[in-house]
Amino acid sequence: MSTNTMTDERLLLLIEAYGVHPMAWPEDERAAAEAHLAAHPERFQGALEEARRLDTLFEEDAIMAPPAGLTERILADAPAERRRPGFAVSLGQLFLPQGRRWPASAALASLVVGLFTGYTASAMSPAEPYDEEAESLVYAALGYDGLETLIEEEVSHE
Amino acid sequence: MHAAAGAGQEENPARIRRWRRYAPIVSSLSETEQIARAAAGDRLAQSALVSRHMPVVWRVAFRMLGDRQEAEDVTQETFLRAWKMLPDWEGRAKFSTWACTVAVNLCRDRMRKKAPVLMEALPEQTDSGLQPEQALHQKQAGSHLMGLVAGLPDRQKEALTLCAFEGLGNIEAAAAMDVSVEALESLLARARRSLRQALSEGQER
Repeated sequence: MSTNTMTDERLLLLIEAYGVHPMAWPEDERAAAEAHLAAHPERFQGALEEARRLDTLFEEDAIMAPPAGLTERILADAPAERRRPGFAVSLGQLFLPQGRRWPASAALASLVVGLFTGYTASAMSPAEPYDEEAESLVYAALGYDGLETLIEEEVSHE
Repeated sequence: MHAAAGAGQEENPARIRRWRRYAPIVSSLSETEQIARAAAGDRLAQSALVSRHMPVVWRVAFRMLGDRQEAEDVTQETFLRAWKMLPDWEGRAKFSTWACTVAVNLCRDRMRKKAPVLMEALPEQTDSGLQPEQALHQKQAGSHLMGLVAGLPDRQKEALTLCAFEGLGNIEAAAAMDVSVEALESLLARARRSLRQALSEGQER
């Protein structure tokens, strides 16, 4: 209903439906209705008197209080606060198969197992002996008896 | 639903002090933020939501059903649904509209299950369920209003309860009843006409 098209019929219906208080009238029609009423008060006198009587009874009607303890009973069913999980729980959640976290934790576990196995295997392997025979063969092919002979010759050249 | 009285919910001075300190902050939050906090389990936001909306829901249910215990059950059921709904609340209606809609529908379900009572005329008085001093005040005021309202057709009673007694706007009340604003106005006008007529007939006797 446009604010510019307030009619006697519409204002009578507003009074009949919502009562005499403009605050109870629809917000978008209130200003136009009040202006129309102020311009022609005599037209609505009877309707206002009838509605006022009922409004007074509504206002006198005692406001009933809800039963004691109802608030607490309702709050007893309310969701509890979600707390942040501790470090141990977070770590456990990382490795437990939960949705999208599972591939990441599987990859991390593979890496840890791989590193551990590699380190353990290298530590347990015996050190390979130095092959002196092969070294003598190389020096002999170069015309020296060994490393010492090669160094002596280099020094004498200087 | 008769949940056991909230064990461990007793008020203690520390809790009251904490509430007094934070209550202004909680009440100044927007409804969306308050709902988000309540969904996350914030006790103060939950308390604020219940304190603000529970009395309206209970009164609507009581006027519709005329029974305190049934009204309490409907109120608890309404909030139980709210707790489940809150995490996905974004973009929904105002909480008051949503709560009244749920309460009205729960009341309708209960009324459908009850055996229909045919009455030739509006009852003069019913058990109001009021406290003695409230009942005395009402009696002194000479008001049989509750009995008259209780005798109205269900939809008229819903419309009158939401608008005249609980002060909901026309759009919000129409949404809660799932009717058009025009239909709501028609129900309100008919309800008030019936009450006026019943009151004048009562005076003539």
